[in-house]
Amino acid sequence: MSKELNNVRNIGISAHIDSGKTTLTERILFYTNKIHAIHDVKGKDGVGAVMDSMELEKERGITIASAATFCEWNNFEINIIDTPGHVDFTIEVERSLRVLDGAILVLCSVGGVQSQSITVDQQMKRYNVPCIAFINKCDRSGANPERVIDQLIEKLGHNAVAMQIPIGLEVDHQGVVDLSTMKATYFDGENGEILRSEEIPAELAEKAAEKREELIEAASNYCDDLADAFLEEQEISAEMILSAMRKGVLARKITPVYMGSAYKNKGVQPLLDAATQLLPNPSEVTNIALDLDQDEDEIVLGSDTEGQAVALAFKLEDGQYGQLTYIRVYQGTLSKGDTLINTRSGKKIKIGRLVQMHSNQMEDINSIPAGYIGALFGIDCASGDTFADPKLNYSMTSMFVPEPVISLALVPKDNKSQINMSKALNRFSKEDPTFRTHVDDETNETIIEGMGELHLEVYVERMQREYGAEVSTGQPRVAYRETITRRAEFNYTHKKQTGGSGQYGRVAGYMEPFGDGEFDFINKVTGGSIPTQFISSCEKGFKAGLIKGALMEFPVTGIRVEINDGAAHSVDSSEMAFQAAARGAFLEAYRKAKPVIHEPIMKVVIETPTEFQGTVMGTINQRRGTILGAQEEGPMCVVESQVPLAEMFGYSTVLRSSTQGKAQFTMEFANYKQVPQSITEELQKKREDEAKKGAA
Amino acid sequence: MLKKDLMMRNPLRAVSDESGYILPEGGLGAVVARAGVGKTALLVQLALNSLLKGDNALHISLGDPVRKVSLWYREVFNNIGTHYKIDKIDDLWNELLPQRFIMTFNIDGFSVPRLDERLTELADQDIFHPQMILIDGLPFNDQVKRTDLHALKELSEKFNSHIWFTVRSHRHEEPDSEGMPIQISEFADLLDVAIKLEPEENEIKLKVLKGCGSISSQALSLDSATMLIKE
Repeated sequence: MSKELNNVRNIGISAHIDSGKTTLTERILFYTNKIHAIHDVKGKDGVGAVMDSMELEKERGITIASAATFCEWNNFEINIIDTPGHVDFTIEVERSLRVLDGAILVLCSVGGVQSQSITVDQQMKRYNVPCIAFINKCDRSGANPERVIDQLIEKLGHNAVAMQIPIGLEVDHQGVVDLSTMKATYFDGENGEILRSEEIPAELAEKAAEKREELIEAASNYCDDLADAFLEEQEISAEMILSAMRKGVLARKITPVYMGSAYKNKGVQPLLDAATQLLPNPSEVTNIALDLDQDEDEIVLGSDTEGQAVALAFKLEDGQYGQLTYIRVYQGTLSKGDTLINTRSGKKIKIGRLVQMHSNQMEDINSIPAGYIGALFGIDCASGDTFADPKLNYSMTSMFVPEPVISLALVPKDNKSQINMSKALNRFSKEDPTFRTHVDDETNETIIEGMGELHLEVYVERMQREYGAEVSTGQPRVAYRETITRRAEFNYTHKKQTGGSGQYGRVAGYMEPFGDGEFDFINKVTGGSIPTQFISSCEKGFKAGLIKGALMEFPVTGIRVEINDGAAHSVDSSEMAFQAAARGAFLEAYRKAKPVIHEPIMKVVIETPTEFQGTVMGTINQRRGTILGAQEEGPMCVVESQVPLAEMFGYSTVLRSSTQGKAQFTMEFANYKQVPQSITEELQKKREDEAKKGAA
Repeated sequence: MLKKDLMMRNPLRAVSDESGYILPEGGLGAVVARAGVGKTALLVQLALNSLLKGDNALHISLGDPVRKVSLWYREVFNNIGTHYKIDKIDDLWNELLPQRFIMTFNIDGFSVPRLDERLTELADQDIFHPQMILIDGLPFNDQVKRTDLHALKELSEKFNSHIWFTVRSHRHEEPDSEGMPIQISEFADLLDVAIKLEPEENEIKLKVLKGCGSISSQALSLDSATMLIKE
């Protein structure tokens, strides 16, 4: 592995589902000689794109897990992370962005800036990832790159500037005009591998000159020399433009826009050039770690390869030879035989085998220097763990992990499936922090929890394919919650005298709503009416009440409890007695505090041809949804709405059948809202029915 | 109670009739101002006033995306919340949200027949029945014709609604002999109410050009910091 950081790029390819990022990655690998044949994502040849390494991804034509891969272009070493586009797998996108230095935002020249592009863009902003845009599918009917650039400006607030203009669109798409060099580029050969540079076609000359001027004007904001040259009407070189653009990109002030059609092998090589010319190298990015010894003080990591090593495990995969851990090294060098500390668990790890990944093939290496992405074998860790030199106690900034909103009960078919299911669940929950699993105490069923229906479905399928675990699933269950709506007092005495030493404890105080917070406990007991050593037992007792609400046994959140009085007995009071008293007090006040059920509300964005707008709105209306708005853009319309998750099961089928398969939707968690009374009654009835069935 | 309280304190009651309406059913109203003076802010407050009354408001924006329009509402509503020190503003907001519907069009893609088509679709499916329609960004300077205003009037009658729209004026243009900005001068007879926003020192005066009964022509203004209407 080279140690020249200037020539290293860690880039991600992020986009809306179906905008062609896997095809684009496939072409990049082909042109960089990493693969020697091109296969379609939904390949008729049965091979599928190389980046979709999991069988399931190949079958569905979507990319689920990020596959990190390495390639070389013009003496630059590029690590590419192919990221999933579906919002259910957003944690994968977020993790990828955490370790990237730059990204290519792929947009469809027909669909433009779609809802998922907005989510991905917000994530890029959160992690401060500079990006360049690639408008793909310029060969498609309805292609309009200029409109997409306008949308980048209007919808995403990017300062988007065209670096190219297309030569022909739709079926006539032949190549691109580079506005910095003012040359036309055509892509010849069977797979577009031969670049032919020519003069700009006469009919495009005027437009190209106009767009070049716009480009220079935008770029000159980031370079005084270029601004001077522009004002003095001197000749401006391509290098001057690129250098100014680079400054703008690194500051996240400007987004250069490239275009082409990956599927038709057009425009990919210039995009690779742009990625090397405009996106930052690892030493140009500031990476922050938290010093756990200094109260989580922020520490800027140096990108030198000689310092003490710090690395982040950003993805796990279960391979033939055990767990494969993808890591990004931020400081120092990781070499075979080194001993590091996993700062989360405090466990020591010894680096055994180190590899560089190319999709599902790998190459053994001896070390991974700072700025690089690689993989380790045989390390037991979870995704998001930090490995550091034993002298350091650093943790990389923690990643934002949303709470799961949906759960599903699993029942294995036989004993063998039971064992395999456990293995699979153990692996998946380590790989994906938004995927959780537990065993229900009452039903003894295994419950999996995640961010959406598709999210859980994919894991169930993976369980069967990769682990041979045959499981049947119950109905998906929504993660309802209980909370209170008013203040209520309690004054509860727990007293038991059953021979031997008795139990005695009294707690008094009140509970009240606590907004979006989970639980807050305030001790205002004075004069020792509850001895200090029992206060923590009281807190434990109240916390125990949160596990199952008395209304419908859903978890309780949003409660503040204050205790301000109580009583103890010199012999009969104990920790256990005060825990029991607090549990009793909780129950006493909870009923009086008017508990209600809250349900997760999803933000649902549907893109549909205008003719189905009314139908689509109808489907939202039938699902207790609130339509926030409808945005018409030419032949397409975007309907934004908020719908309870409970009403969204099976929605993709409904939407497909009611729009002839022409509409698509994305869904993400928005907030929790109170369930209407009629639905609460339905839930209660359902619960009673289930209880009766269980008893029978 | 909270809603009633807010309505009681609402400065717009100075220009409303007894039942709280400024425009009659089937009526048209215009908010005229230069760019950046507060047309959208006023429109949003007219809409919020209607939402608090329990009416449905359809906000049509020509040019701005749904997200931006939503943001306007949230911002103005939060400012109202802070101004009147309302607790639980989120709960009230969630209550009002289903009464508001935002539609956005590209200016070129908008026409009255198209709006009619959309509204009919919403009404037929019982998805949304607006009592108030707000149109922000109609191009009064060149494209809007008298026939369009007639069509809008018919539309508002058809849906038992009333329509407010914004009109952008320019600094250098003199009003007509009746004092009407030239953008609406040829439609003035079709309007029931016309309000002009005029910046004066630290506030923006609401000048009633037409309608609103006998109220003092400059009874209300917009606070230039919060853009809230004040007496």
